[in-house]
Amino acid sequence: MYELFKHLGGWLTSGAQWSGSDGITHRLAEHLQYSLVATLIAAAIGLPLGLLIGHTGKGAFLAINLASFGRALPTVGLVVLVFLAGGLSMLPVYVALVALAVPAIVTNTYAGMTAVDPDVKDAARGQGMRGHQVLFQVELPLALPLIMTGLRLALIQVVATATIAAYVSFGGLGRYVFDGLAQRDLVQVLGGAVLVAVVAVVLDLLLSTLQRFLFRHRTA
Amino acid sequence: MNRRTLLGGLFAAASVPALSACASGITSLENQGGTASGGGSSKGGVTIGTANFTENQVLGCLYAAVLTAAGVKTNVRPNLGTREILIPAIKGGDIDLLPEYQGALLHYLDPKATATEEGEMQNALAVALPAGLQVLPYGMAEDSDAFVVTRETAKKYGLTSLADLKKQNGRLVIGAAPEVKKRQVGVVGLKDVYRVEFKEFKSLDSSGPLVKGALKKGDVDVANLFTTDTDIQANDWVVLTDPENLIPGQHVVPLIADRKADSTVRKALARLGNVLTTAQLTELNRQVDKDKKDPEDVANAYARQHGLA
Repeated sequence: MYELFKHLGGWLTSGAQWSGSDGITHRLAEHLQYSLVATLIAAAIGLPLGLLIGHTGKGAFLAINLASFGRALPTVGLVVLVFLAGGLSMLPVYVALVALAVPAIVTNTYAGMTAVDPDVKDAARGQGMRGHQVLFQVELPLALPLIMTGLRLALIQVVATATIAAYVSFGGLGRYVFDGLAQRDLVQVLGGAVLVAVVAVVLDLLLSTLQRFLFRHRTA
Repeated sequence: MNRRTLLGGLFAAASVPALSACASGITSLENQGGTASGGGSSKGGVTIGTANFTENQVLGCLYAAVLTAAGVKTNVRPNLGTREILIPAIKGGDIDLLPEYQGALLHYLDPKATATEEGEMQNALAVALPAGLQVLPYGMAEDSDAFVVTRETAKKYGLTSLADLKKQNGRLVIGAAPEVKKRQVGVVGLKDVYRVEFKEFKSLDSSGPLVKGALKKGDVDVANLFTTDTDIQANDWVVLTDPENLIPGQHVVPLIADRKADSTVRKALARLGNVLTTAQLTELNRQVDKDKKDPEDVANAYARQHGLA
């Protein structure tokens, strides 16, 4: 075990490991790119959906259950399914990652919207605000902390799961995990896994710090 | 060897009791003392282990069928895992007999082995095997690595052998399991022996749905599959020939503990090896994988049909 960690240290710190198309720098950039694109697509789907059902209070049961369904889908199974249907491209990977990220965004957005005090909404309407004004000027700002939490959770899950891109021949940090397993190179497997974990934790810390900074004047 | 990990073993596992039950009334024709000659005795019965993929389970059940017919009590322990588990198990006496593959076993025992021809490999195996284990004569059936293209690709580029690939250097995409990128029987050897350079290497799976799907859709031009993969025939794909013998022979060979290797066992397994062809083994795999038949039933039916049981 000690040997393994010693080798891991060597693997992570050798200059050669960081450069080139199979280097950590390049793989890290790919990994972040896949993760950000998938999370952005998921946000484009999940945010409007969460806001809509939160604002109208309609379709909540259906949407939340559909979201849970997305969360329960086995990611690798989904990748293989879309791959067999559509061929070799990044599409299967993005479909699987988006399906994983949408639920966290929808449910947290919806939860944030329902947590807004009904009296506040009533007061806003009483002052003559229209529906969309209530949504964007009252509900959305109040729900923002929970919405941010949803986005953060989604991004972390996606970062941790984006290793599957390597399963269908693409890059990212998963390359080290899959290649290492196939070549029985445990140091490489461990190196890839540690890097993914570090990226996830660092992103989470950065985003939660940002969140605390943005909402520093709020009590809840 | 990291081949298809399928659930076939579960079916085989369920059928083990039935199998041992039919091996009643043992009348071993041979009665070897097993002292001076150093030969073993199968009187106490033979435990057969198999690896975690369909074909190996089919072979294990075939071994059981022919041995039972020869009056040897057998017990199949299917789906035990990979060579890393099986070889220590046979050395330790937990199992006595394993269906193996010449080249893969030799490379496991001696990673620097250079033999690729069947006879040479048999000799090299005899040297490389640890004390107490031996390989019996190899059978006709072979499950080796193959580089496969679709019929259209073969026509378009005029491909029949691996040597033809170099005419298209820098143009073709190869799909295979990740380890093939750094293997002699893979990108490395194709470059050394045939001077082939691919446009791109796509890391997919080992003769599984990804690499076959990609070949079918044209996402890769060349795919690394196994010769006994039933989809090769089903899709009319072309296996590129290997004139320079880059790919080591992978004939099926029984690996057995000395203590059980008496002439009854040797004869029964040799007869099976002489009858079973690659095409027949492929067909048996297909019956288990595609028709979802029990490996034991498939093996017994085959043995009866060919007068082996």
